[in-house]
Amino acid sequence: MKFETLRDTLLFPVQAVVGVVEKRQTMPILANLLLTVTDTGLSLTGTDMEVELVADTAVEIQEKGEITVPARKLLDICRALPEGAKIVVYLDKDKLSLRSGRSRFSLVTLPAADFPAVEDIHVQRSFSVGQKQLRDLFTRTAFSMAQQDVRYYLNGLLLETSEKCLRAVATDGHRLALCDLGTDLGDVTAQQVIVPRKGVLELQRLLGEGDTQAKIELGTNHVRIHLPGLRFTSKLIDGRFPEYERVVPKGGDKIFTADRLMLKEALGRAAILSNEKYRGVRLQLSTNRLKVLAHNPEQEEAEDEIEVQYQGSELEIGFNVTYLLEALSALEGEQVHVTLTDANSSCLIRAPQNKFCRYVVMPMRL
Amino acid sequence: MMNRLIAHVDMDAFYASVEQHDHPELKGRPVIVGGPQQRGVVCAASYEARRFGVRSAMPMYEARRRCPDGIYLPVRMTRYREASAAVFRCFAEFTPLIEGLSLDEAFLDLSAAPPSAHALELGRAIKTRVRAHTGLTASVGLGPNKLIAKIASEKSKPDGLLHIPAERTRETLDPLPVTALWGIGPHSGAHLEKAGIRTLRELRLAPEPLLAALFGSQARFFQALAEGRDERPVGGDTRERSVSQETTFARDLSDWRALAGELRPLTEGLCASLRRHSLRPHTLVLKLRTADFRRHTRQRRFAPPDNAFAVLWPLAETLLHDWLREKPGRPLRLIGIGARDFVHADQLALFEENRASERRLEAAVDAVRQRFGDGKLARGMPSRME
Repeated sequence: MKFETLRDTLLFPVQAVVGVVEKRQTMPILANLLLTVTDTGLSLTGTDMEVELVADTAVEIQEKGEITVPARKLLDICRALPEGAKIVVYLDKDKLSLRSGRSRFSLVTLPAADFPAVEDIHVQRSFSVGQKQLRDLFTRTAFSMAQQDVRYYLNGLLLETSEKCLRAVATDGHRLALCDLGTDLGDVTAQQVIVPRKGVLELQRLLGEGDTQAKIELGTNHVRIHLPGLRFTSKLIDGRFPEYERVVPKGGDKIFTADRLMLKEALGRAAILSNEKYRGVRLQLSTNRLKVLAHNPEQEEAEDEIEVQYQGSELEIGFNVTYLLEALSALEGEQVHVTLTDANSSCLIRAPQNKFCRYVVMPMRL
Repeated sequence: MMNRLIAHVDMDAFYASVEQHDHPELKGRPVIVGGPQQRGVVCAASYEARRFGVRSAMPMYEARRRCPDGIYLPVRMTRYREASAAVFRCFAEFTPLIEGLSLDEAFLDLSAAPPSAHALELGRAIKTRVRAHTGLTASVGLGPNKLIAKIASEKSKPDGLLHIPAERTRETLDPLPVTALWGIGPHSGAHLEKAGIRTLRELRLAPEPLLAALFGSQARFFQALAEGRDERPVGGDTRERSVSQETTFARDLSDWRALAGELRPLTEGLCASLRRHSLRPHTLVLKLRTADFRRHTRQRRFAPPDNAFAVLWPLAETLLHDWLREKPGRPLRLIGIGARDFVHADQLALFEENRASERRLEAAVDAVRQRFGDGKLARGMPSRME
C-alpha cells in the first residue's frame, strides 16, 4: 500500500471518522482506523462496533492495499504537520510509514482482515431527504433521549417512516419530543427503527447546513446514511419503543398562549434558585397571568411573572424547569401554546405556526 | 471545627431487655432471644445469660449447651421496632441531630447544648428519660467526636455512663487494640499484627508508607482515627447520602461464582433497606477490597431511579463481571454494594411501569423481613454458566 496526498486532504476525513473511536476499547483493533486504498481512492473507517463511519477521499495512488493504524496517533500527526504539507504514506513490512518533508513517522499496524467492518446491511427501504432538514429533525428531538436508562430502547431516537412523512420521537420517560418532516418518501411503507444515542449524536455532528441530499437506507439491523464523501452506519436498537401516541395529551382544557422568549426568560430566571438537582419550579396560572416560583434547600426564593393569554380556571403545577426550557428552545416562532389538564397530567407545548413539533412534559409533585 | 459534644447511645441487650420489660417475671433470669429451635442464632442475650458465655450471633444449639436453663424466646421484631421508636422519641427531646445506626443504637450531636450543661449531666438525663419512658436501660458514651463517643459507650456497658473529654482521648485510645476502630475487623487486624501493629498507639506512630501499603487511600483516615481525630458529622441525612452493605470473606475469593454468591444477598439486603426507607437511588456502587487492602469502586449511574432487586441485581452483576474481566484472578477480601443519588422529588412518569408482579413479590419479601427480621428470606441463586 502506498499513496501520496496533502495534509489537509487526509486530516478532514480522519477528523470525520475518529469521533466514533472510543477512548477505552474492549478490543485493541477498535482503537485503530482501517485504511483502504483502491482504484477510486482512500477510504478511512472507524467503528465502536455500534456506529461505523467511512470517509472517502481522493489521493494519488501508487499501490493498492489495506491496513489498520492507531486512530488518535494518526489524527495527532496529521494535525501537527504544517498546513499544505505533502504526505507520503506506505506500508513498510508491518509498520505504516508517514513521511512529510523532514518528518518521519512509523506506526504499528494490525491486519485489516481483523477489522470488524459492517458489510451488507440488507437494505429494505431507502429514501433521500435534505441534509439540513434531517439535521433540524434531530436537533428538535434528540435532547429528549434517555441516557443510560435500563429501558434500553429509550436510549435512542425513534425514526418512523410513512408515505408522506419522516417522524422522529425521543423520550426519557419524563418528557417526550415528537417532530415530523413532511416529505415525499416515495413508496416507503410504515416502519419504525430506533437509532442508538451515540449514533444520533454523531450524526448531528456530521450533518451539514447545505441542501445536499442525505440518502437513508434502512436494513434489517442497521441504518445507513450516505452523505457526500461520508458513509454512516449504525446498529439499530432491538426493542419496542413505547406507544408514544398514547401519552401525547389529546384533551386538556387549560390552554395558555405566551410569548415564547418571554416565557423562556422568566423560567430561566426562576431556575437560578431552583433545587440544583431536581430543578423544580412551580407555575401558577390565573387569568392572563403566569407566575413562576422556585426555591432551593438554602431557602432562597425566586418569583417571576409574565402576561399570557388565558381565560380558564386557576391551576398550580410543578415542572422540572430544564424540560420546559429545552422544549421552548427547540421550538421556533414568536408564540407558544401550552395545554394543561391538571397538576398530575402531562402538558403539551406547541408553536402555533409549527404543526410539526410537539413536546410533552410530565409534571413534578412539589 | 468547633468543639463538639457527641453521644453514642446503645441500648443494653435490647431485644432481651424488651422481653424482660414486657414479662417482669423474667427479670434477673437468663433470657435468650433468637431463631427457631436448633437452627437459628442468638439475636440478643440478657446480661444474666451472658454470664454463661452466651453471645449474640452464636448458634442457638451452642447457647443451649452453655445455658441449658435459659429462657429461650422467639424474635418479636414488630415489638422491638415499636420500642425503638419510643427510644428515638426520647432522643429527639435532646437534639434534632440524631443518626440512628440500628434499632438500638444512635449518635446524638449535643454540641448545641448550653455550655453550662455538663456533659455527664446531659448523658445522665438521656438515660433517665429513656428509662422513665420505656423502662429500658441504655449505655451512654460521650466524647468530642463519634469515634470517642462510641468507645466510651462500649467501655461503660452495661447501664453505663462515661465521658471522655478531648484531653483524655490519647490515653484512652493508645492501649486499645486496632480492631477497636470501625473498618478494622479481625481480618485487617491480623494483617496489621503481621506488620507489628497491634494497638492504636502503634497505629498512630506507624510510618505512613507502611500504612499506605496496607490501607491504600484509607491510610490517612485510619491514622487520624487512631489519633482520636474524627470529623464525621452526626446527621439524620448522612444515612441517606448512601446506603450500602458489605461483607468480609473468611478467606479471599476470586472466582465469579463465589463472588456473585456473596454479592447477591447483599444486593437483596440493600434493596430491602432502600425500600424500607423509601429511597430510590440513581447510582449503584460496587465496592471491593483486594487482598493487598486496596479499595476499588466501580459505579454505574442508571435511570429511572429504582429500588427493585429485579432492576439493581443485573446492574450489580454487570459491575462485578466487568471488574473481573478487567482484573481477572485478583483475590478479594471484601465485597460491598451501595446506592446513592437518591431521588426525593416526585417526577411523574409518562409510561406506566409494567412490573406489578415483581413489585408484589418484593412487597411480600419486605413484609416477611419486617416481621421476622432480615436474613430469613432470600432469593435462590440461579446457576449461571460462565
